[in-house]
Amino acid sequence: MRKSSSSPNDHEQFIATIKARHTIISATRSFFDRRGYLEVHTPARVLCPGIEPYVDALPAGPGYYLATSPELHMKRLLAKGAQRIYQIAHAFRADELGPLHSPEFLMLEWYCPGIDYLGIMLETEELLAALAGCPGSQGHDWLRFPLPRMKVDDLFLKIAGWKPSVAWDEDRYFSDWVEKVDPFLSRQQALFLVDFPAALASLAKLKDADSLLCERFELFLCGVEIANAFSELTDYDAHCARLTAANQRRAQMCKEAYPVDEGFMAAVRSGIPECAGIALGLDRLIMVLLGCRHIEQVQLFNTV
Amino acid sequence: MIDTSEIRKNLKLLIDGQPWVVVDFQFVKPGKGQAFTRTRMKNLITGNVIERNYRSGEKFEEAHVEEKSMVFLYAQGGTYTFMDNQTYEQAEMSEEHLGDAAHFLSDNMSVEVIYFNGEPITVEVPNFVEHQIVETEPAVRGDTVSGATKPAKLATGYVINVPLFINAGDWVVVDTRTGAYVERVKK
Repeated sequence: MRKSSSSPNDHEQFIATIKARHTIISATRSFFDRRGYLEVHTPARVLCPGIEPYVDALPAGPGYYLATSPELHMKRLLAKGAQRIYQIAHAFRADELGPLHSPEFLMLEWYCPGIDYLGIMLETEELLAALAGCPGSQGHDWLRFPLPRMKVDDLFLKIAGWKPSVAWDEDRYFSDWVEKVDPFLSRQQALFLVDFPAALASLAKLKDADSLLCERFELFLCGVEIANAFSELTDYDAHCARLTAANQRRAQMCKEAYPVDEGFMAAVRSGIPECAGIALGLDRLIMVLLGCRHIEQVQLFNTV
Repeated sequence: MIDTSEIRKNLKLLIDGQPWVVVDFQFVKPGKGQAFTRTRMKNLITGNVIERNYRSGEKFEEAHVEEKSMVFLYAQGGTYTFMDNQTYEQAEMSEEHLGDAAHFLSDNMSVEVIYFNGEPITVEVPNFVEHQIVETEPAVRGDTVSGATKPAKLATGYVINVPLFINAGDWVVVDTRTGAYVERVKK
Protein backbone atom coordinates (compact mmCIF):
# COMPACT_ATOMS: atom_id res chain seq x y z
CA MET A 1 0.00 0.00 0.00
CA ARG A 2 1.33 3.37 -1.00
CA LYS A 3 0.22 5.24 2.06
CA SER A 4 1.86 3.68 5.06
CA SER A 5 -0.90 4.98 7.35
CA SER A 6 1.62 6.46 9.74
CA SER A 7 -1.01 8.58 11.46
CA PRO A 8 -4.77 8.19 11.93
CA ASN A 9 -5.18 11.26 9.75
CA ASP A 10 -3.30 9.68 6.81
CA HIS A 11 -5.37 6.57 7.25
CA GLU A 12 -8.65 8.51 7.11
CA GLN A 13 -7.41 10.37 4.05
CA PHE A 14 -6.55 7.11 2.33
CA ILE A 15 -9.97 5.60 3.02
CA ALA A 16 -11.59 8.83 1.82
CA THR A 17 -9.63 8.53 -1.44
CA ILE A 18 -10.83 4.94 -1.97
CA LYS A 19 -14.42 6.11 -1.41
CA ALA A 20 -14.10 9.14 -3.70
CA ARG A 21 -12.68 6.99 -6.49
CA HIS A 22 -15.53 4.53 -6.07
CA THR A 23 -18.15 7.28 -6.15
CA ILE A 24 -16.76 8.93 -9.27
CA ILE A 25 -16.25 5.65 -11.13
CA SER A 26 -19.70 4.32 -10.30
CA ALA A 27 -21.26 7.66 -11.32
CA THR A 28 -19.36 7.34 -14.60
CA ARG A 29 -20.80 3.88 -15.18
CA SER A 30 -24.35 5.01 -14.47
CA PHE A 31 -23.89 8.01 -16.77
CA PHE A 32 -23.06 5.72 -19.69
CA ASP A 33 -25.64 3.15 -18.65
CA ARG A 34 -28.40 5.79 -18.78
CA ARG A 35 -27.31 6.70 -22.31
CA GLY A 36 -27.45 3.18 -23.65
CA TYR A 37 -23.70 2.59 -23.78
CA LEU A 38 -22.36 -0.93 -23.34
CA GLU A 39 -19.29 -1.45 -21.20
CA VAL A 40 -16.69 -3.53 -23.02
CA HIS A 41 -13.33 -5.04 -22.18
CA THR A 42 -10.49 -5.36 -24.64
CA PRO A 43 -7.10 -7.08 -24.21
CA ALA A 44 -4.54 -5.47 -21.92
CA ARG A 45 -1.73 -7.52 -23.52
CA VAL A 46 -1.54 -6.91 -27.25
CA LEU A 47 0.59 -7.76 -30.30
CA CYS A 48 0.28 -4.29 -31.79
CA PRO A 49 0.15 -1.21 -29.64
CA GLY A 50 -1.07 1.90 -31.42
CA ILE A 51 1.56 3.58 -33.58
CA GLU A 52 2.34 7.10 -32.37
CA PRO A 53 5.67 8.91 -32.62
CA TYR A 54 5.65 9.87 -28.95
CA VAL A 55 3.79 7.06 -27.22
CA ASP A 56 5.98 4.12 -26.25
CA ALA A 57 4.65 0.75 -25.14
CA LEU A 58 5.96 -1.45 -22.35
CA PRO A 59 7.02 -4.90 -23.57
CA ALA A 60 5.04 -7.82 -22.12
CA GLY A 61 6.84 -10.98 -23.18
CA PRO A 62 8.19 -11.87 -26.64
CA GLY A 63 6.12 -10.14 -29.32
CA TYR A 64 3.66 -8.63 -26.86
CA TYR A 65 3.08 -5.22 -25.35
CA LEU A 66 0.87 -3.77 -22.66
CA ALA A 67 -1.86 -1.72 -24.33
CA THR A 68 -1.12 2.01 -24.45
CA SER A 69 -4.81 2.59 -25.18
CA PRO A 70 -7.85 0.44 -25.98
CA GLU A 71 -8.52 2.45 -29.16
CA LEU A 72 -7.79 -0.11 -31.89
CA HIS A 73 -9.70 -2.96 -30.27
CA MET A 74 -12.69 -0.77 -29.50
CA LYS A 75 -12.83 0.33 -33.13
CA ARG A 76 -12.78 -3.34 -34.14
CA LEU A 77 -15.93 -3.78 -32.04
CA LEU A 78 -17.53 -0.82 -33.84
CA ALA A 79 -16.71 -2.42 -37.19
CA LYS A 80 -18.42 -5.61 -35.98
CA GLY A 81 -21.61 -3.66 -35.36
CA ALA A 82 -21.33 -2.54 -31.74
CA GLN A 83 -23.03 0.80 -31.28
CA ARG A 84 -22.27 3.01 -28.28
CA ILE A 85 -19.45 1.48 -26.27
CA TYR A 86 -17.27 2.57 -23.36
CA GLN A 87 -14.47 1.09 -21.35
CA ILE A 88 -12.53 1.86 -18.21
CA ALA A 89 -9.20 0.35 -19.22
CA HIS A 90 -5.80 0.03 -17.63
CA ALA A 91 -3.38 1.75 -20.00
CA PHE A 92 0.40 1.55 -19.86
CA ARG A 93 3.07 3.89 -21.20
CA ALA A 94 6.83 3.58 -20.99
CA ASP A 95 8.96 6.36 -19.53
CA GLU A 96 6.12 8.54 -18.30
CA LEU A 97 6.48 9.51 -14.69
CA GLY A 98 5.72 12.77 -12.91
CA PRO A 99 3.02 14.70 -11.08
CA LEU A 100 0.63 14.11 -13.99
CA HIS A 101 2.05 10.84 -15.31
CA SER A 102 2.11 7.29 -14.10
CA PRO A 103 3.22 4.35 -16.28
CA GLU A 104 -0.08 2.63 -15.47
CA PHE A 105 -3.32 4.56 -15.34
CA LEU A 106 -7.05 4.26 -15.92
CA MET A 107 -8.34 5.42 -19.25
CA LEU A 108 -12.01 6.04 -19.80
CA GLU A 109 -12.62 5.65 -23.51
CA TRP A 110 -15.90 5.86 -25.34
CA TYR A 111 -17.20 5.86 -28.91
CA CYS A 112 -20.47 7.13 -30.27
CA PRO A 113 -21.54 6.43 -33.89
CA GLY A 114 -23.39 9.18 -35.73
CA ILE A 115 -21.78 12.19 -34.04
CA ASP A 116 -18.57 14.15 -34.61
CA TYR A 117 -16.00 15.65 -32.23
CA LEU A 118 -18.25 18.59 -31.39
CA GLY A 119 -21.04 16.18 -30.49
CA ILE A 120 -18.81 14.20 -28.16
CA MET A 121 -17.62 17.50 -26.66
CA LEU A 122 -21.18 18.19 -25.50
CA GLU A 123 -21.41 14.70 -24.05
CA THR A 124 -18.10 15.27 -22.24
CA GLU A 125 -19.54 18.41 -20.66
CA GLU A 126 -22.58 16.45 -19.55
CA LEU A 127 -20.34 13.79 -17.99
CA LEU A 128 -18.34 16.48 -16.15
CA ALA A 129 -21.54 18.05 -14.88
CA ALA A 130 -22.65 14.66 -13.56
CA LEU A 131 -19.32 13.91 -11.87
CA ALA A 132 -18.65 17.34 -10.43
CA GLY A 133 -21.60 16.84 -8.11
CA CYS A 134 -20.17 13.64 -6.60
CA PRO A 135 -19.58 13.71 -2.86
CA GLY A 136 -15.88 14.19 -2.20
CA SER A 137 -15.58 16.64 -5.08
CA GLN A 138 -14.47 20.06 -3.95
CA GLY A 139 -17.18 22.53 -5.07
CA HIS A 140 -17.02 23.20 -8.77
CA ASP A 141 -18.42 26.65 -9.34
CA TRP A 142 -15.61 27.09 -11.84
CA LEU A 143 -17.14 24.50 -14.14
CA ARG A 144 -19.56 26.80 -15.99
CA PHE A 145 -21.05 25.21 -19.06
CA PRO A 146 -20.50 25.55 -21.93
CA LEU A 147 -16.79 25.51 -21.14
CA PRO A 148 -14.68 27.99 -23.12
CA ARG A 149 -13.24 26.75 -26.42
CA MET A 150 -10.13 27.96 -28.16
CA LYS A 151 -8.56 26.97 -31.47
CA VAL A 152 -4.97 25.73 -31.35
CA ASP A 153 -3.96 28.27 -34.04
CA ASP A 154 -5.55 31.16 -32.12
CA LEU A 155 -3.86 30.14 -28.89
CA PHE A 156 -0.43 29.87 -30.50
CA LEU A 157 -0.92 33.15 -32.36
CA LYS A 158 -1.85 34.86 -29.11
CA ILE A 159 0.98 33.59 -26.94
CA ALA A 160 3.69 32.38 -29.33
CA GLY A 161 3.13 34.60 -32.37
CA TRP A 162 2.59 31.98 -35.07
CA LYS A 163 -0.02 29.63 -36.52
CA PRO A 164 1.21 26.04 -36.38
CA SER A 165 -1.23 24.71 -38.98
CA VAL A 166 0.04 26.97 -41.77
CA ALA A 167 3.77 26.80 -40.98
CA TRP A 168 4.15 23.41 -39.35
CA ASP A 169 7.37 22.97 -37.36
CA GLU A 170 7.19 20.08 -34.93
CA ASP A 171 10.14 21.00 -32.71
CA ARG A 172 9.05 24.63 -32.50
CA TYR A 173 5.48 23.55 -31.72
CA PHE A 174 6.46 21.37 -28.77
CA SER A 175 9.09 23.71 -27.35
CA ASP A 176 6.57 26.57 -27.48
CA TRP A 177 4.10 24.20 -25.90
CA VAL A 178 6.28 23.53 -22.90
CA GLU A 179 7.66 27.09 -22.63
CA LYS A 180 4.51 29.10 -23.28
CA VAL A 181 1.32 27.12 -23.85
CA ASP A 182 1.57 24.84 -20.82
CA PRO A 183 2.15 27.79 -18.41
CA PHE A 184 -0.80 29.60 -20.04
CA LEU A 185 -3.05 26.55 -19.68
CA SER A 186 -2.08 26.16 -16.05
CA ARG A 187 -3.76 29.52 -15.38
CA GLN A 188 -7.06 28.47 -17.05
CA GLN A 189 -9.75 26.75 -15.05
CA ALA A 190 -11.34 24.86 -17.92
CA LEU A 191 -10.75 24.94 -21.64
CA PHE A 192 -11.41 22.92 -24.76
CA LEU A 193 -8.52 23.28 -27.17
CA VAL A 194 -9.93 22.54 -30.64
CA ASP A 195 -8.85 22.04 -34.25
CA PHE A 196 -5.29 20.75 -34.10
CA PRO A 197 -2.83 21.04 -37.00
CA ALA A 198 -3.20 18.21 -39.53
CA ALA A 199 0.28 16.97 -38.61
CA LEU A 200 -1.12 16.07 -35.16
CA ALA A 201 -4.20 14.33 -36.50
CA SER A 202 -3.18 10.86 -35.30
CA LEU A 203 -6.37 8.96 -36.25
CA ALA A 204 -8.63 12.01 -36.46
CA LYS A 205 -10.48 13.08 -39.60
CA LEU A 206 -9.19 16.15 -41.37
CA LYS A 207 -11.62 19.05 -41.60
CA ASP A 208 -13.25 18.90 -45.01
CA ALA A 209 -13.04 22.59 -45.63
CA ASP A 210 -9.47 23.07 -44.50
CA SER A 211 -7.15 20.13 -44.69
CA LEU A 212 -4.50 21.94 -42.63
CA LEU A 213 -6.62 21.15 -39.57
CA CYS A 214 -8.09 18.03 -38.06
CA GLU A 215 -11.23 17.41 -36.04
CA ARG A 216 -9.55 16.87 -32.70
CA PHE A 217 -9.98 18.50 -29.31
CA GLU A 218 -8.37 18.25 -25.92
CA LEU A 219 -9.94 19.13 -22.60
CA PHE A 220 -7.90 20.93 -19.94
CA LEU A 221 -9.07 21.36 -16.35
CA CYS A 222 -6.92 23.37 -13.93
CA GLY A 223 -4.15 23.22 -16.52
CA VAL A 224 -4.20 19.43 -16.58
CA GLU A 225 -4.80 17.66 -19.89
CA ILE A 226 -7.81 15.48 -19.18
CA ALA A 227 -9.12 14.15 -22.48
CA ASN A 228 -8.41 13.86 -26.19
CA ALA A 229 -11.14 13.36 -28.80
CA PHE A 230 -11.46 12.87 -32.53
CA SER A 231 -14.00 12.69 -35.26
CA GLU A 232 -12.64 9.26 -36.07
CA LEU A 233 -10.83 8.57 -39.30
CA THR A 234 -12.66 5.88 -41.32
CA ASP A 235 -10.89 5.87 -44.69
CA TYR A 236 -8.66 2.81 -45.30
CA ASP A 237 -5.97 4.48 -47.42
CA ALA A 238 -5.71 7.37 -45.00
CA HIS A 239 -5.12 4.86 -42.18
CA CYS A 240 -2.31 3.19 -44.15
CA ALA A 241 -0.68 6.57 -44.81
CA ARG A 242 -0.94 7.76 -41.18
CA LEU A 243 0.42 4.55 -39.66
CA THR A 244 3.30 4.42 -42.14
CA ALA A 245 4.17 8.05 -41.43
CA ALA A 246 4.06 7.45 -37.67
CA ASN A 247 6.43 4.48 -37.95
CA GLN A 248 8.76 6.49 -40.22
CA ARG A 249 8.84 9.26 -37.64
CA ARG A 250 9.69 6.66 -34.98
CA ALA A 251 12.49 5.30 -37.16
CA GLN A 252 13.95 8.81 -37.57
CA MET A 253 14.18 9.02 -33.79
CA CYS A 254 15.78 5.55 -33.63
CA LYS A 255 12.70 4.18 -31.89
CA GLU A 256 11.33 0.71 -32.39
CA ALA A 257 8.76 0.50 -35.22
CA TYR A 258 5.53 -1.19 -34.12
CA PRO A 259 3.76 -3.79 -36.21
CA VAL A 260 0.59 -2.68 -37.97
CA ASP A 261 -2.44 -4.34 -36.38
CA GLU A 262 -3.85 -6.48 -39.21
CA GLY A 263 -7.02 -7.21 -37.27
CA PHE A 264 -7.60 -3.48 -36.96
CA MET A 265 -6.82 -2.84 -40.63
CA ALA A 266 -9.28 -5.57 -41.62
CA ALA A 267 -11.87 -3.83 -39.46
CA VAL A 268 -11.17 -0.51 -41.19
CA ARG A 269 -11.51 -2.20 -44.57
CA SER A 270 -14.83 -3.75 -43.60
CA GLY A 271 -16.01 -0.33 -42.41
CA ILE A 272 -15.83 1.59 -39.16
CA PRO A 273 -19.02 3.65 -38.81
CA GLU A 274 -18.77 7.43 -38.85
CA CYS A 275 -18.27 8.19 -35.18
CA ALA A 276 -16.52 10.25 -32.55
CA GLY A 277 -14.30 8.81 -29.86
CA ILE A 278 -12.59 10.15 -26.78
CA ALA A 279 -9.98 9.02 -24.27
CA LEU A 280 -10.14 10.54 -20.81
CA GLY A 281 -7.51 10.10 -18.10
CA LEU A 282 -9.66 8.98 -15.21
CA ASP A 283 -6.99 9.27 -12.50
CA ARG A 284 -6.30 12.83 -13.63
CA LEU A 285 -9.99 13.72 -13.63
CA ILE A 286 -10.36 12.28 -10.11
CA MET A 287 -7.29 14.27 -9.11
CA VAL A 288 -8.75 17.53 -10.36
CA LEU A 289 -12.19 16.85 -8.88
CA LEU A 290 -10.64 16.13 -5.47
CA GLY A 291 -8.42 19.20 -5.68
CA CYS A 292 -5.18 17.15 -5.70
CA ARG A 293 -1.99 18.25 -7.44
CA HIS A 294 -0.20 14.94 -7.89
CA ILE A 295 -1.51 11.75 -9.51
CA GLU A 296 0.07 9.77 -6.66
CA GLN A 297 -2.47 11.33 -4.31
CA VAL A 298 -5.35 9.53 -6.03
CA GLN A 299 -3.77 6.26 -7.17
CA LEU A 300 -4.00 3.67 -4.42
CA PHE A 301 -0.73 1.92 -5.22
CA ASN A 302 2.67 2.95 -6.35
CA THR A 303 3.34 0.75 -9.38
CA VAL A 304 6.78 2.09 -10.20
CA MET B 1 27.14 11.48 -19.78
CA ILE B 2 23.72 11.30 -18.23
CA ASP B 3 20.36 11.94 -19.82
CA THR B 4 17.09 13.64 -18.90
CA SER B 5 15.64 10.51 -17.32
CA GLU B 6 18.37 10.66 -14.66
CA ILE B 7 17.64 14.24 -13.59
CA ARG B 8 17.09 14.35 -9.83
CA LYS B 9 17.07 17.02 -7.15
CA ASN B 10 20.60 17.94 -6.06
CA LEU B 11 22.15 16.47 -9.22
CA LYS B 12 25.12 18.65 -10.22
CA LEU B 13 25.34 19.39 -13.94
CA LEU B 14 28.04 21.01 -16.03
CA ILE B 15 26.49 23.46 -18.48
CA ASP B 16 28.60 25.86 -20.55
CA GLY B 17 31.50 25.16 -18.21
CA GLN B 18 29.54 26.19 -15.12
CA PRO B 19 28.40 23.93 -12.30
CA TRP B 20 24.64 23.91 -11.68
CA VAL B 21 22.59 22.06 -9.08
CA VAL B 22 19.06 20.83 -9.85
CA VAL B 23 16.66 22.51 -7.42
CA ASP B 24 13.49 21.04 -8.85
CA PHE B 25 12.33 19.18 -11.94
CA GLN B 26 9.10 18.03 -13.52
CA PHE B 27 8.16 15.70 -16.35
CA VAL B 28 6.06 17.59 -18.90
CA LYS B 29 4.45 15.89 -21.87
CA PRO B 30 1.47 16.82 -23.99
CA GLY B 31 -0.58 13.65 -24.63
CA LYS B 32 0.71 12.69 -28.04
CA GLY B 33 3.71 14.98 -28.09
CA GLN B 34 7.36 15.30 -27.25
CA ALA B 35 8.34 14.93 -23.60
CA PHE B 36 10.43 17.46 -21.70
CA THR B 37 11.95 17.74 -18.28
CA ARG B 38 11.30 21.20 -16.86
CA THR B 39 14.33 21.85 -14.72
CA ARG B 40 15.02 24.60 -12.16
CA MET B 41 18.71 24.92 -11.56
CA LYS B 42 20.93 27.07 -9.37
CA ASN B 43 24.35 28.15 -10.54
CA LEU B 44 26.71 27.03 -7.79
CA ILE B 45 29.07 29.95 -8.40
CA THR B 46 26.72 32.88 -8.94
CA GLY B 47 23.63 31.59 -7.13
CA ASN B 48 21.50 32.50 -10.18
CA VAL B 49 18.41 30.34 -10.55
CA ILE B 50 17.11 29.56 -14.03
CA GLU B 51 14.45 27.33 -15.53
CA ARG B 52 15.21 25.32 -18.64
CA ASN B 53 13.23 22.70 -20.50
CA TYR B 54 15.14 19.76 -21.86
CA ARG B 55 13.78 17.38 -24.48
CA SER B 56 13.71 13.78 -23.33
CA GLY B 57 16.92 12.06 -24.29
CA GLU B 58 19.12 15.17 -24.16
CA LYS B 59 22.49 14.42 -22.60
CA PHE B 60 24.44 16.22 -19.92
CA GLU B 61 27.84 16.16 -18.38
CA GLU B 62 27.86 15.75 -14.64
CA ALA B 63 29.72 18.48 -12.74
CA HIS B 64 32.37 16.98 -10.54
CA VAL B 65 31.60 18.75 -7.38
CA GLU B 66 32.92 17.76 -4.00
CA GLU B 67 31.42 18.67 -0.64
CA LYS B 68 33.48 18.93 2.54
CA SER B 69 32.11 19.47 6.05
CA MET B 70 33.88 22.44 7.60
CA VAL B 71 33.34 25.05 10.27
CA PHE B 72 33.34 28.80 9.81
CA LEU B 73 36.41 30.36 11.45
CA TYR B 74 36.36 34.10 10.75
CA ALA B 75 35.86 36.85 8.20
CA GLN B 76 38.45 39.48 7.54
CA GLY B 77 38.54 42.14 4.85
CA GLY B 78 35.76 40.45 2.85
CA THR B 79 37.49 37.07 2.95
CA TYR B 80 35.78 34.21 4.74
CA THR B 81 37.82 31.36 6.17
CA PHE B 82 36.56 27.83 6.85
CA MET B 83 38.37 24.82 8.30
CA ASP B 84 38.04 21.07 8.20
CA ASN B 85 38.20 20.09 11.88
CA GLN B 86 39.65 16.67 11.04
CA THR B 87 42.43 17.61 8.61
CA TYR B 88 42.85 21.31 9.55
CA GLU B 89 42.63 22.04 5.84
CA GLN B 90 41.39 25.59 5.30
CA ALA B 91 39.28 27.14 2.54
CA GLU B 92 38.98 30.84 1.79
CA MET B 93 36.25 32.51 -0.16
CA SER B 94 35.11 36.02 -0.99
CA GLU B 95 31.75 37.41 0.08
CA GLU B 96 30.73 37.34 -3.60
CA HIS B 97 31.19 33.58 -3.72
CA LEU B 98 29.20 33.02 -0.57
CA GLY B 99 26.18 35.01 -1.72
CA ASP B 100 23.32 34.94 0.79
CA ALA B 101 25.09 32.34 2.93
CA ALA B 102 27.35 35.15 4.22
CA HIS B 103 24.36 36.68 6.01
CA PHE B 104 23.87 33.62 8.17
CA LEU B 105 27.35 32.56 9.21
CA SER B 106 28.39 32.56 12.85
CA ASP B 107 31.59 31.41 14.57
CA ASN B 108 32.11 27.65 14.49
CA MET B 109 28.96 27.05 12.42
CA SER B 110 29.11 23.72 10.52
CA VAL B 111 28.72 24.21 6.79
CA GLU B 112 29.30 22.24 3.60
CA VAL B 113 32.02 23.78 1.47
CA ILE B 114 31.50 23.05 -2.23
CA TYR B 115 34.59 22.45 -4.36
CA PHE B 116 34.53 22.57 -8.16
CA ASN B 117 37.69 21.67 -10.10
CA GLY B 118 39.56 21.64 -6.80
CA GLU B 119 38.57 25.21 -5.87
CA PRO B 120 36.12 26.12 -3.11
CA ILE B 121 33.25 27.92 -4.84
CA THR B 122 30.52 28.29 -2.26
CA VAL B 123 29.14 27.01 1.02
CA GLU B 124 25.82 25.51 1.99
CA VAL B 125 24.59 26.65 5.39
CA PRO B 126 22.02 24.65 7.39
CA ASN B 127 18.39 25.45 6.55
CA PHE B 128 17.77 26.68 10.09
CA VAL B 129 20.32 28.63 12.11
CA GLU B 130 20.26 30.43 15.46
CA HIS B 131 21.29 34.05 15.67
CA GLN B 132 21.30 36.76 18.29
CA ILE B 133 19.49 40.01 17.53
CA VAL B 134 21.97 42.85 18.03
CA GLU B 135 19.71 45.76 17.24
CA THR B 136 15.94 46.37 17.04
CA GLU B 137 13.33 48.84 18.27
CA PRO B 138 12.21 47.99 21.80
CA ALA B 139 8.99 46.01 22.13
CA VAL B 140 5.97 48.28 22.27
CA ARG B 141 3.52 47.52 25.07
CA GLY B 142 -0.08 47.17 24.07
CA ASP B 143 0.65 46.85 20.38
CA THR B 144 -1.14 43.62 19.65
CA VAL B 145 -1.78 43.81 15.92
CA SER B 146 -1.35 40.21 14.99
CA GLY B 147 1.30 39.48 12.38
CA ALA B 148 2.91 42.92 12.74
CA THR B 149 6.71 42.88 12.34
CA LYS B 150 9.68 45.20 12.66
CA PRO B 151 13.24 45.10 11.32
CA ALA B 152 15.97 43.53 13.47
CA LYS B 153 19.71 43.27 12.80
CA LEU B 154 21.82 40.12 13.20
CA ALA B 155 25.51 40.18 14.19
CA THR B 156 26.38 39.72 10.50
CA GLY B 157 24.65 43.00 9.74
CA TYR B 158 21.79 41.26 7.93
CA VAL B 159 18.33 42.62 8.70
CA ILE B 160 15.33 40.32 9.09
CA ASN B 161 11.70 40.99 10.03
CA VAL B 162 10.69 39.81 13.49
CA PRO B 163 7.51 39.98 15.59
CA LEU B 164 7.15 43.03 17.82
CA PHE B 165 7.90 41.12 21.06
CA ILE B 166 11.53 40.40 20.06
CA ASN B 167 14.18 42.49 21.84
CA ALA B 168 17.86 43.15 21.23
CA GLY B 169 19.81 40.30 22.85
CA ASP B 170 17.14 37.67 22.07
CA TRP B 171 18.11 34.54 20.12
CA VAL B 172 15.99 33.57 17.13
CA VAL B 173 15.87 30.81 14.53
CA VAL B 174 16.16 32.00 10.92
CA ASP B 175 15.32 30.03 7.76
CA THR B 176 18.39 30.58 5.57
CA ARG B 177 16.52 29.68 2.37
CA THR B 178 14.11 32.59 2.73
CA GLY B 179 15.75 34.82 5.33
CA ALA B 180 12.53 34.54 7.36
CA TYR B 181 12.22 34.59 11.15
CA VAL B 182 10.99 31.21 12.45
CA GLU B 183 10.83 31.41 16.27
CA ARG B 184 12.43 32.78 19.42
CA VAL B 185 14.73 30.45 21.37
CA LYS B 186 15.69 30.56 25.03
CA LYS B 187 19.43 30.63 25.66
